[in-house]
Amino acid sequence: MAGSGENKTAMMRLSKFKYLAPRSVNDAAKMLADAGPTASVVAGGTDLYPNMKRRHQTPKTLIGLRRVEGMRGVSGTPEGGLRIGPMTTLTALERNATVKAAHPGLWKAVHSISTPILRNMGTLGGNICLDTRCNYYDQNYEWRRAINFCMKCDGDTCWVAPGSKVCLAVSSSDTAPLLCAIGARLHLVSATGEREIAAHELYRRDGIHFLSKRPDELLTEIVLPATNGWRSTYRKLRRREAFDFPVLGVGAWASFDGPVVKEARIFLGAVSPAPVEAAEAAKSLVGTRLEPDAVARASDLAYGPAKPVDNTDFLTRWRKEMTKVYVKGALEDLRGS
Amino acid sequence: MIAPSVGLPLPRTDGFDKVTGRAAYVDDLRVPGCLHGATIRSTIPHGRLRRIRRDPAFDWSGFTFVTAADIPGQNVIALITDDQPALVDGIIRHAEEPVCLLAHRDRERLLAGLRAVTLECDPLPAALTIREGLARKAKIYGRDNIFKEIRIRKGEVRTAFRGAHRIVEGTFRTGLQEQLYIETNGMIAIPERGGRMSVLGSLQCPYYVHKALKRLLGVGDDRVRVVQTTTGGGFGGKEEYPSMLAAHCALLARKAGKPVKIVYDRLEDLAATTKRHPSVVRHRTAVSREGRLLGMDIDVLMDGGAYLTLSPVVLSRGAIHAAGPYRCENLAIRARAVATNTPPNGAFRGFGAPQTIFAVEMQLNRIARALRIDPVELRRRNVLRPGDSTATGQVLDAGASGPLVLEEAVRRSGWSVRRASFTKRAPPDPERASKAPRKGTASGRIRRGLGLSLFYHGAGFTGIGEVYLDSHASLAVTRDGSVEIHTASTEIGQGMRTTFAQIVGDELGLPPSMVRLAPQDTSLVPNSGPTVASRTCMIVGKILANAAADLRDALVQWAGDSPRRAPGRRATRGPWNPQQFRRLASAWVRKTGPKVFTRKYDRPPGMKWDEKEYRGDAYGAFGWGVNVAEVEVDAETFEIRVPRVDVVLEIGTVVNPLLAQGQAEGGTLQGVGYALTEEVVRKNGRMANAQLTNYIIPTTADTPEFRTTLLSNAYRHGPFGAKGMGELPLDGPGPAIAAAIENALGVSIVELPITPERLAKAIRARPAHE
Repeated sequence: MAGSGENKTAMMRLSKFKYLAPRSVNDAAKMLADAGPTASVVAGGTDLYPNMKRRHQTPKTLIGLRRVEGMRGVSGTPEGGLRIGPMTTLTALERNATVKAAHPGLWKAVHSISTPILRNMGTLGGNICLDTRCNYYDQNYEWRRAINFCMKCDGDTCWVAPGSKVCLAVSSSDTAPLLCAIGARLHLVSATGEREIAAHELYRRDGIHFLSKRPDELLTEIVLPATNGWRSTYRKLRRREAFDFPVLGVGAWASFDGPVVKEARIFLGAVSPAPVEAAEAAKSLVGTRLEPDAVARASDLAYGPAKPVDNTDFLTRWRKEMTKVYVKGALEDLRGS
Repeated sequence: MIAPSVGLPLPRTDGFDKVTGRAAYVDDLRVPGCLHGATIRSTIPHGRLRRIRRDPAFDWSGFTFVTAADIPGQNVIALITDDQPALVDGIIRHAEEPVCLLAHRDRERLLAGLRAVTLECDPLPAALTIREGLARKAKIYGRDNIFKEIRIRKGEVRTAFRGAHRIVEGTFRTGLQEQLYIETNGMIAIPERGGRMSVLGSLQCPYYVHKALKRLLGVGDDRVRVVQTTTGGGFGGKEEYPSMLAAHCALLARKAGKPVKIVYDRLEDLAATTKRHPSVVRHRTAVSREGRLLGMDIDVLMDGGAYLTLSPVVLSRGAIHAAGPYRCENLAIRARAVATNTPPNGAFRGFGAPQTIFAVEMQLNRIARALRIDPVELRRRNVLRPGDSTATGQVLDAGASGPLVLEEAVRRSGWSVRRASFTKRAPPDPERASKAPRKGTASGRIRRGLGLSLFYHGAGFTGIGEVYLDSHASLAVTRDGSVEIHTASTEIGQGMRTTFAQIVGDELGLPPSMVRLAPQDTSLVPNSGPTVASRTCMIVGKILANAAADLRDALVQWAGDSPRRAPGRRATRGPWNPQQFRRLASAWVRKTGPKVFTRKYDRPPGMKWDEKEYRGDAYGAFGWGVNVAEVEVDAETFEIRVPRVDVVLEIGTVVNPLLAQGQAEGGTLQGVGYALTEEVVRKNGRMANAQLTNYIIPTTADTPEFRTTLLSNAYRHGPFGAKGMGELPLDGPGPAIAAAIENALGVSIVELPITPERLAKAIRARPAHE
């Protein structure tokens, strides 16, 4: 074989781009529509900027949402449904006493993201729309060039599963499985209109086109369901107590009639390009009191939908096995002590 | 009169500038007209370089392009052996090997230029592991791919095995580890008008770089000048690699006739620079019924990577420490460093010892289980005591602090009570554990364990190494009457700026603030040797103390006075106060000319070393340590937490307890990462997890509570009794944590890092306990 590789590295720098700073949602939506497909919005920038340095994305125009009015903060009451602006920083959510008391599941998910420093910059909207990740993608340009790139960026092959027709980069958002599980709704605005969708409808099982949100749409609000007799939790597998993206996330939700489960939802994060619903597992909980046998049965059922592939840290087999243990832990959280 | 400062927890003199962002690291320096340089590296582990192709359609104006053909001197990075080229000339021997260099004023153009170069290579079969290197799957070094073989023999091993009560065997493995200094490798080369090449950068050993550049450029001493810039950590990672980076900058700068800067990004630094040597250590031990070590047969293999670099010396330290701090009259150690087609491994805090100490400590635990003896008791029976001799036959004096640190650690950690409360329960059964209560004790999901390691670490170069180094250090008296230290020893975060000032200040009866440090610039300071091997405080500090004594005596004599203290006694108060000294010293220099007092290394009397037979006094002094680690293991997920580590170290006189504690805790934490999470993943010889998102070091949230105790058993030949301590703390955490996990789960641990996946495998393979 001739012509085999070379590897050249130089300090990673941001590519050149134009930066726009709209003051209103309407302006932002218009700018996004005008700039076309080479534009991107930026919230906290904690994920986008490193990606730009690695040339995963090279937007010609960045629309910064930092100064847009009304996209920040928590409003409403838990009983009526809290509304959260997507530009609310993760730290602000963590420190919000109402969120912590009324939505411990969301609070746990937010608290588990990266580090305090990055949470100071990172936003809820940014985490919801977080780019998918992969061992073959989250490398610098030179590294990717040496493997002739991958399907997600600049190449044709998915190195995780070379036969795959879709990109298998993994959804790595901590809040996504939780928001899907509790049934949060997302408000989207574009220059031509607005709509509201369920959180789970935002995600697609395609590591490249992983959001159903159109490129000209902005996420403008996250609406949490009214709290009335349900509980939620989040469990996260990672190597360290900080920093790491999830290699498995479990968002679990159940509503109760006294001690008896009326309805339940379980979403698994970081096992697929989208949060994966473990519907059978959740269904098996209905009518139970989350007693140990019911929890064990549901955990076994959750094992099936989890199909981790070689795209993150930890061995895939290990991540699959841990699905059982982590779902069990989450359901124990829901049962309470 | 000034109170002595040795022993005081003075804050680092360089600390304020570093935490306030004032300190200028190499990438902060603005050099007019400076070009940015970059390296084109191989992506294959072994092959023939046929051609370097530059895209003819690309606009090459403004670029400087360097290949091996541009090297004016020899194409080697001079260190121990001349096997490593600065740039590939013909054969590629590892992935990430530098092939050619580019420089341009504009970084974006530079990136575009890099992408317009193609390497045409014919791949060859590659040996990527120790086993493949030994099997000569590829020809890399010499006839047999062995960089160095060391044999240490003592007594009659065969006879000892014949008379044994039991023979215990074990094979232990450790992986690669990255130093992970915060500041990546970076360097600037500036061609000066007179033809001299100045190189400024992040480095540990200015004179190593100096030596390498002279050979590369084919010039004399005064045509190369090397200056250390503020350095954001080294840990051995800036011992030899900076010579390579300096070579590249100098070649580009020479050709361009302009300054050139290269600063690696984290990915390049992780993928291309040196790591800790992976090891496979096999133990066979003959023991008596009471657990005495009758005979030890040890085989050590280390993966050196594709070039020799420092592997023979790393191997040597590993071999000498392979029998641990234990008495054994019959032993045979065979150690080999093997060549593989992987980036060269090199210096890393501990320098071969953490690998072999992990193995011997795990072997001791195995013996303890085989004989049903408490691991502390087993160590008590075998630990080296004054009068005993080490593996190389070095007879220890009263400085043998093994029993001291062991008993102190047992007492302070509450070993007996805690260990008893964690032990004596059934090994976990994942099936059963999953039904058990979440936070139980005996059969619960969270299993706790306590483990202990006992270790020692020789300070300074091995054997006759310090004699060969022939280190010099000077003190100069300035016209304003203050004192200036002239050494090539570098501040890399360990605190030498502060400890040197304390040592010299005390010797002169001056406050440390009156002692300044000259820049680490080879055109200004003598060669005080490399800043490595736990030698800076103990060896160079002592040379400085001696120079300070000369200075004091000369000044006293000039002043017509006589020393008021007996020689060799610690000067608790000088014959002057600071103002008097300043006036007197200033007058002295003005009236009689510049004053420089240079001393060189004095070998402690009686030290003997036979390099051929590996017999004799390997080190002037040993630091001693015990770690007691507590772990919590989730019996279902095998996630491991380390809530507490007791660290007991004996390091001679503690010059600065604050800095020493920092070294102790930092080194121990680095050992926690080594034990649990730090793993280099390679695909076809290239690092696949060269980022901090997946090369996992402990964070603050993963940091145990450290209970650190520093003990002092003064070393006669160290400054004010100090020993070296930089590397010692990293030797203990691996085996202590592994032992704690063994205690918690009843499994046998044979490999680092202990990831949950590996632990689960070990559990499934049970019973592994003998």
